[in-house]
Amino acid sequence: MFVSSPWERAGPLDEFESALARLLPRLRRFAHGLTRNPADADDLTQLTAERALRSRDQWQPGTNFDAWTYRIMRNLWIDTTRSRQRRDKVIAPEEEGRDIGAPAEAEGKAELHFLMRAMDRLPDEQREAVALVMIEGLSYAEAAAVLELPQGTLTSRLVRGRQALARILSEE
Amino acid sequence: MAERIDEAAVIAWLDGELTPAEAARVEQAVARDAALRAVADRHRMIQARFAAAFGPIAQEPVALPRSAKVISFAEARAARAQKEKAPTRRWWIPGAIAASLVAGLMIGQMQQRPSGIGDRPDALALAPVLARGLDSQLAGEPGVVRVALSFRAQDGTYCRSFSAAHLAGIACRDGQGWRLRYAAPATPSQGDYRMAGNDPAEANAIAGMIAGDPLDAAAERAARAKGWR
Repeated sequence: MFVSSPWERAGPLDEFESALARLLPRLRRFAHGLTRNPADADDLTQLTAERALRSRDQWQPGTNFDAWTYRIMRNLWIDTTRSRQRRDKVIAPEEEGRDIGAPAEAEGKAELHFLMRAMDRLPDEQREAVALVMIEGLSYAEAAAVLELPQGTLTSRLVRGRQALARILSEE
Repeated sequence: MAERIDEAAVIAWLDGELTPAEAARVEQAVARDAALRAVADRHRMIQARFAAAFGPIAQEPVALPRSAKVISFAEARAARAQKEKAPTRRWWIPGAIAASLVAGLMIGQMQQRPSGIGDRPDALALAPVLARGLDSQLAGEPGVVRVALSFRAQDGTYCRSFSAAHLAGIACRDGQGWRLRYAAPATPSQGDYRMAGNDPAEANAIAGMIAGDPLDAAAERAARAKGWR
């Protein structure tokens, strides 16, 4: 199956593609919350879009499109971090410097990087809850649906994550 | 909701997750109880910081991919590394140094990590680059931060109202460094510098903190020379 890009396409985007295109900027922000690394966030966003386009037959019209797409991104990221943990054992340390970015960018994005470092210190399960609710603005019910968790579990992870962030940001 | 109003209830209230009746109960409790108010203020401020820093990302356009050909994340990274090879190589050295500085900072932070929230729960640390800007820049000077006003607070510390990309507010210098005491709840428009001093809530916050008059240019220079202590 081949889905052409908007600029190569002869006709307008269909409904599914339009919905995805509208959601992509927010998905990319969620990717920043998950990966804490702008380059990884961009890669994850593109992969998620490709996966969503390829899996479009699995989406049931009438169900929550945003939740379905966020879930794809989150699951892709879990698969990635699992394989990365193995790979990172052999990766060169210089690779770690990439996420600092160019110096020109460092000043304007200092606050973003600072908050991403704080997110780094949360356990994965708390970080994804915080990213969905506090950064993406999803309701507890929507976030629980994305993570396929009971709402009570989502809520307790969210509260623990926010308490931890408050502690981290109060230190220096 | 449980009878006792705890941090989880305050957070749920801030997130708009409570029924009107529950929300009214939390709101009254927060108005009555200074400790609960501190909890609410802390979480509001954190929320405001994340909104200001992450919000602009969602304003940037993202193109739909060229095709639905799915490759793995590792392949995507490898492809990007290949593409960037020549120009990025140069960044890796300063990048690695910067990374080790950040790592050093984080380790330093972890060693001094207090067991609880701390006695100033509303005092949040600033990114080091912003803290350096507050150390060195005078009011009105262009730079990483823009300082509108410097003043002495009633507790004797020096405070400065400032704006920076994605963050504006009031920071005060305690023994350890600059601490954010007030953060503007609004997301800055187009991610550029907000005009410092035109936020009425911030003006109120200053009015509640300040002892005497704001520093004039000479007093500000003198305070900077003494390291804001």
